[in-house]
Amino acid sequence: MGTPRNLAARLLRAVLRLAPEESRDWALATLRELDFIEGDWAALFWALGSAAAILRHASSGWRAWLRSKANKETGMNNAGKRALGVGLGMLSALALVGCAFAVLRIIGTVFPGLEHSPWAYWLAVLAIPEAIFVAATVMLWRKRGPVAAGILATGLVMALHVAVHLTLHW
Amino acid sequence: MKLRLSPQTLLVLDAFLVQAEAWKYGYDLSRATGLKSGTLYPILMRLAERELLETEWEAGEPGKPPRHMYRFTADGLRFARSSVSAGASGGLGQVALGLVPPDPVEI
Repeated sequence: MGTPRNLAARLLRAVLRLAPEESRDWALATLRELDFIEGDWAALFWALGSAAAILRHASSGWRAWLRSKANKETGMNNAGKRALGVGLGMLSALALVGCAFAVLRIIGTVFPGLEHSPWAYWLAVLAIPEAIFVAATVMLWRKRGPVAAGILATGLVMALHVAVHLTLHW
Repeated sequence: MKLRLSPQTLLVLDAFLVQAEAWKYGYDLSRATGLKSGTLYPILMRLAERELLETEWEAGEPGKPPRHMYRFTADGLRFARSSVSAGASGGLGQVALGLVPPDPVEI
Protein backbone atom coordinates (compact mmCIF):
# COMPACT_ATOMS: atom_id res chain seq x y z
CA MET A 1 0.00 0.00 0.00
CA GLY A 2 1.50 3.36 -1.05
CA THR A 3 2.00 6.25 1.33
CA PRO A 4 -0.86 8.42 -0.03
CA ARG A 5 -3.33 5.51 0.25
CA ASN A 6 -2.04 4.80 3.75
CA LEU A 7 -2.61 8.43 4.69
CA ALA A 8 -6.08 8.33 3.14
CA ALA A 9 -7.05 5.26 5.18
CA ARG A 10 -5.66 6.83 8.36
CA LEU A 11 -7.50 10.07 7.75
CA LEU A 12 -10.84 8.36 7.14
CA ARG A 13 -10.38 6.10 10.18
CA ALA A 14 -9.70 9.20 12.30
CA VAL A 15 -12.80 10.88 10.85
CA LEU A 16 -14.82 7.75 11.66
CA ARG A 17 -13.58 7.77 15.26
CA LEU A 18 -14.37 11.46 15.74
CA ALA A 19 -17.67 11.61 13.81
CA PRO A 20 -20.86 12.04 15.82
CA GLU A 21 -23.44 9.24 15.73
CA GLU A 22 -25.51 10.74 12.88
CA SER A 23 -22.48 11.07 10.57
CA ARG A 24 -20.82 7.74 11.41
CA ASP A 25 -22.55 5.67 8.70
CA TRP A 26 -21.45 8.16 6.06
CA ALA A 27 -17.88 8.20 7.38
CA LEU A 28 -17.77 4.39 7.28
CA ALA A 29 -19.29 4.42 3.76
CA THR A 30 -16.49 6.63 2.42
CA LEU A 31 -13.86 4.48 4.17
CA ARG A 32 -15.24 1.26 2.63
CA GLU A 33 -15.15 2.78 -0.87
CA LEU A 34 -11.41 3.38 -0.49
CA ASP A 35 -10.64 -0.28 -1.33
CA PHE A 36 -12.24 0.14 -4.74
CA ILE A 37 -10.40 3.28 -5.83
CA GLU A 38 -7.64 2.75 -8.34
CA GLY A 39 -4.56 4.87 -7.76
CA ASP A 40 -3.00 5.98 -4.48
CA TRP A 41 -3.34 9.70 -5.13
CA ALA A 42 -6.96 9.31 -6.23
CA ALA A 43 -7.55 7.53 -2.90
CA LEU A 44 -5.97 10.42 -0.98
CA PHE A 45 -8.08 13.02 -2.80
CA TRP A 46 -11.17 10.87 -2.20
CA ALA A 47 -10.35 10.80 1.52
CA LEU A 48 -9.76 14.57 1.71
CA GLY A 49 -13.07 15.33 -0.01
CA SER A 50 -14.91 12.79 2.11
CA ALA A 51 -13.42 14.15 5.33
CA ALA A 52 -14.57 17.66 4.38
CA ALA A 53 -18.08 16.35 3.56
CA ILE A 54 -18.37 14.48 6.88
CA LEU A 55 -17.06 17.50 8.80
CA ARG A 56 -19.69 19.72 7.16
CA HIS A 57 -22.42 17.17 7.90
CA ALA A 58 -21.32 16.89 11.52
CA SER A 59 -21.02 20.66 11.94
CA SER A 60 -24.56 21.18 10.64
CA GLY A 61 -25.71 18.90 13.47
CA TRP A 62 -23.70 20.90 16.01
CA ARG A 63 -25.07 24.18 14.63
CA ALA A 64 -28.66 22.90 14.89
CA TRP A 65 -27.98 21.81 18.48
CA LEU A 66 -26.51 25.22 19.35
CA ARG A 67 -29.47 27.03 17.74
CA SER A 68 -32.01 24.93 19.62
CA LYS A 69 -30.06 25.50 22.84
CA ALA A 70 -30.01 29.25 22.23
CA ASN A 71 -33.74 29.27 21.42
CA LYS A 72 -34.57 27.28 24.55
CA GLU A 73 -32.54 29.49 26.81
CA THR A 74 -34.62 32.57 26.28
CA GLY A 75 -33.12 33.90 29.48
CA MET A 76 -29.76 34.22 27.72
CA ASN A 77 -29.12 37.95 27.49
CA ASN A 78 -27.24 39.80 24.79
CA ALA A 79 -23.97 39.61 26.70
CA GLY A 80 -24.34 35.83 26.89
CA LYS A 81 -25.00 35.59 23.15
CA ARG A 82 -22.00 37.78 22.43
CA ALA A 83 -19.80 35.64 24.67
CA LEU A 84 -21.04 32.51 22.86
CA GLY A 85 -20.18 34.16 19.51
CA VAL A 86 -16.69 35.11 20.67
CA GLY A 87 -16.17 31.57 21.98
CA LEU A 88 -17.29 30.11 18.65
CA GLY A 89 -14.93 32.42 16.77
CA MET A 90 -12.01 31.41 18.99
CA LEU A 91 -12.84 27.71 18.64
CA SER A 92 -13.02 28.01 14.84
CA ALA A 93 -9.68 29.82 14.76
CA LEU A 94 -8.06 27.20 16.99
CA ALA A 95 -9.50 24.44 14.77
CA LEU A 96 -7.87 26.14 11.78
CA VAL A 97 -4.51 26.24 13.59
CA GLY A 98 -4.95 22.52 14.37
CA CYS A 99 -5.63 21.86 10.67
CA ALA A 100 -2.50 23.85 9.76
CA PHE A 101 -0.37 21.60 12.00
CA ALA A 102 -2.06 18.51 10.48
CA VAL A 103 -1.27 19.77 6.97
CA LEU A 104 2.34 20.29 8.02
CA ARG A 105 2.49 16.67 9.26
CA ILE A 106 1.01 15.43 5.97
CA ILE A 107 3.56 17.49 4.02
CA GLY A 108 6.30 16.02 6.21
CA THR A 109 5.09 12.46 5.51
CA VAL A 110 4.73 12.93 1.77
CA PHE A 111 7.86 15.06 1.31
CA PRO A 112 10.27 14.05 4.10
CA GLY A 113 12.48 16.92 5.23
CA LEU A 114 10.15 19.66 4.09
CA GLU A 115 8.35 19.64 7.45
CA HIS A 116 11.46 21.00 9.16
CA SER A 117 12.09 23.65 6.54
CA PRO A 118 11.58 27.01 8.30
CA TRP A 119 9.70 28.66 5.42
CA ALA A 120 7.24 25.76 5.13
CA TYR A 121 6.66 26.00 8.88
CA TRP A 122 6.10 29.76 8.91
CA LEU A 123 3.89 29.59 5.84
CA ALA A 124 1.71 26.70 7.03
CA VAL A 125 1.25 27.58 10.69
CA LEU A 126 1.55 31.37 10.66
CA ALA A 127 1.25 33.24 7.35
CA ILE A 128 -1.70 31.31 5.87
CA PRO A 129 -3.75 31.06 9.11
CA GLU A 130 -3.14 34.75 9.90
CA ALA A 131 -4.23 35.75 6.38
CA ILE A 132 -7.38 33.65 6.80
CA PHE A 133 -8.05 35.22 10.22
CA VAL A 134 -7.81 38.73 8.77
CA ALA A 135 -10.03 37.87 5.79
CA ALA A 136 -12.61 36.14 8.03
CA THR A 137 -12.64 39.06 10.47
CA VAL A 138 -13.25 41.57 7.67
CA MET A 139 -15.99 39.43 6.10
CA LEU A 140 -17.80 38.63 9.35
CA TRP A 141 -17.40 41.98 11.13
CA ARG A 142 -20.75 43.50 10.13
CA LYS A 143 -23.00 40.44 10.28
CA ARG A 144 -21.38 38.39 13.05
CA GLY A 145 -19.32 40.82 15.08
CA PRO A 146 -18.72 38.62 18.15
CA VAL A 147 -17.51 35.67 16.02
CA ALA A 148 -15.21 38.05 14.12
CA ALA A 149 -13.91 39.40 17.43
CA GLY A 150 -13.16 35.86 18.62
CA ILE A 151 -11.23 35.08 15.45
CA LEU A 152 -9.36 38.38 15.66
CA ALA A 153 -8.47 37.81 19.31
CA THR A 154 -7.02 34.37 18.53
CA GLY A 155 -5.07 35.80 15.59
CA LEU A 156 -3.66 38.55 17.80
CA VAL A 157 -2.66 36.09 20.53
CA MET A 158 -0.90 33.94 17.92
CA ALA A 159 0.90 36.95 16.45
CA LEU A 160 1.90 38.12 19.94
CA HIS A 161 3.21 34.65 20.75
CA VAL A 162 5.36 34.70 17.62
CA ALA A 163 6.61 38.25 18.39
CA VAL A 164 7.63 37.19 21.92
CA HIS A 165 9.30 34.06 20.54
CA LEU A 166 11.29 36.07 17.98
CA THR A 167 12.29 38.69 20.57
CA LEU A 168 13.59 36.08 22.98
CA HIS A 169 15.41 33.89 20.46
CA TRP A 170 16.79 36.39 17.93
CA MET B 1 -38.82 21.12 2.61
CA LYS B 2 -36.70 22.71 -0.10
CA LEU B 3 -34.00 21.02 -2.12
CA ARG B 4 -31.62 23.17 -4.07
CA LEU B 5 -31.41 21.70 -7.56
CA SER B 6 -27.86 22.58 -8.40
CA PRO B 7 -26.29 21.31 -11.65
CA GLN B 8 -24.38 18.78 -9.53
CA THR B 9 -27.59 17.50 -7.88
CA LEU B 10 -29.13 17.10 -11.33
CA LEU B 11 -26.11 15.08 -12.42
CA VAL B 12 -26.56 12.77 -9.43
CA LEU B 13 -30.31 12.40 -10.06
CA ASP B 14 -29.55 11.61 -13.67
CA ALA B 15 -27.00 8.96 -12.69
CA PHE B 16 -29.53 7.32 -10.36
CA LEU B 17 -32.12 7.20 -13.14
CA VAL B 18 -29.90 4.83 -15.13
CA GLN B 19 -31.23 1.43 -13.99
CA ALA B 20 -33.19 3.20 -11.29
CA GLU B 21 -34.11 0.02 -9.41
CA ALA B 22 -30.49 -1.08 -8.97
CA TRP B 23 -28.41 -0.27 -5.89
CA LYS B 24 -25.46 1.99 -6.56
CA TYR B 25 -22.13 2.59 -4.79
CA GLY B 26 -20.58 5.94 -3.90
CA TYR B 27 -17.40 5.54 -5.94
CA ASP B 28 -19.32 4.31 -9.00
CA LEU B 29 -21.58 7.37 -8.75
CA SER B 30 -18.51 9.59 -8.45
CA ARG B 31 -17.09 8.11 -11.64
CA ALA B 32 -20.41 8.26 -13.49
CA THR B 33 -20.99 11.91 -12.63
CA GLY B 34 -17.39 13.12 -12.50
CA LEU B 35 -18.08 14.62 -9.06
CA LYS B 36 -15.49 14.53 -6.29
CA SER B 37 -16.39 12.87 -3.00
CA GLY B 38 -16.58 16.26 -1.27
CA THR B 39 -19.38 17.28 -3.63
CA LEU B 40 -21.10 13.93 -4.10
CA TYR B 41 -21.57 12.90 -0.47
CA PRO B 42 -23.29 16.09 0.74
CA ILE B 43 -25.79 15.61 -2.13
CA LEU B 44 -26.35 11.96 -1.17
CA MET B 45 -26.78 13.01 2.48
CA ARG B 46 -29.36 15.65 1.58
CA LEU B 47 -31.30 13.24 -0.64
CA ALA B 48 -31.24 10.58 2.08
CA GLU B 49 -32.33 13.06 4.78
CA ARG B 50 -35.32 14.03 2.62
CA GLU B 51 -36.12 10.33 2.16
CA LEU B 52 -35.65 10.52 -1.58
CA LEU B 53 -32.87 7.97 -1.31
CA GLU B 54 -32.71 4.74 0.66
CA THR B 55 -29.39 3.45 1.91
CA GLU B 56 -28.32 -0.03 2.86
CA TRP B 57 -25.18 -1.95 3.75
CA GLU B 58 -24.35 -4.61 1.22
CA ALA B 59 -24.51 -8.14 2.65
CA GLY B 60 -21.18 -9.15 1.16
CA GLU B 61 -19.25 -12.39 1.30
CA PRO B 62 -17.73 -13.34 4.68
CA GLY B 63 -14.43 -11.56 5.26
CA LYS B 64 -15.27 -8.87 2.72
CA PRO B 65 -16.24 -5.52 4.27
CA PRO B 66 -19.76 -4.41 3.31
CA ARG B 67 -20.27 -1.34 1.11
CA HIS B 68 -22.88 1.36 1.48
CA MET B 69 -25.43 1.29 -1.34
CA TYR B 70 -28.02 3.78 -2.47
CA ARG B 71 -31.15 3.79 -4.62
CA PHE B 72 -34.27 5.93 -5.03
CA THR B 73 -37.32 5.57 -2.86
CA ALA B 74 -40.67 5.74 -4.68
CA ASP B 75 -40.85 9.48 -3.82
CA GLY B 76 -37.27 9.96 -4.94
CA LEU B 77 -37.93 8.30 -8.28
CA ARG B 78 -40.98 10.50 -8.90
CA PHE B 79 -39.04 13.60 -7.87
CA ALA B 80 -36.04 12.74 -10.05
CA ARG B 81 -38.18 11.98 -13.09
CA SER B 82 -40.08 15.23 -12.76
CA SER B 83 -36.87 17.22 -12.16
CA VAL B 84 -35.02 15.66 -15.05
CA SER B 85 -37.99 15.95 -17.42
CA ALA B 86 -38.29 19.62 -16.41
CA GLY B 87 -34.61 19.83 -17.26
CA ALA B 88 -35.21 18.22 -20.65
CA SER B 89 -37.94 20.77 -21.42
CA GLY B 90 -35.45 23.61 -21.03
CA GLY B 91 -35.35 25.26 -17.64
CA LEU B 92 -33.28 22.82 -15.65
CA GLY B 93 -31.22 21.85 -18.66
CA GLN B 94 -30.01 25.42 -18.75
CA VAL B 95 -29.33 25.21 -15.03
CA ALA B 96 -27.27 22.06 -15.52
CA LEU B 97 -25.26 23.79 -18.19
CA GLY B 98 -24.69 26.73 -15.87
CA LEU B 99 -26.63 29.14 -18.08
CA VAL B 100 -29.10 30.23 -15.39
CA PRO B 101 -28.89 30.02 -11.59
CA PRO B 102 -30.93 27.19 -10.05
CA ASP B 103 -34.10 27.86 -8.05
CA PRO B 104 -34.97 25.92 -4.92
CA VAL B 105 -37.67 23.33 -5.61
CA GLU B 106 -40.49 22.58 -3.18
CA ILE B 107 -40.86 18.85 -2.49
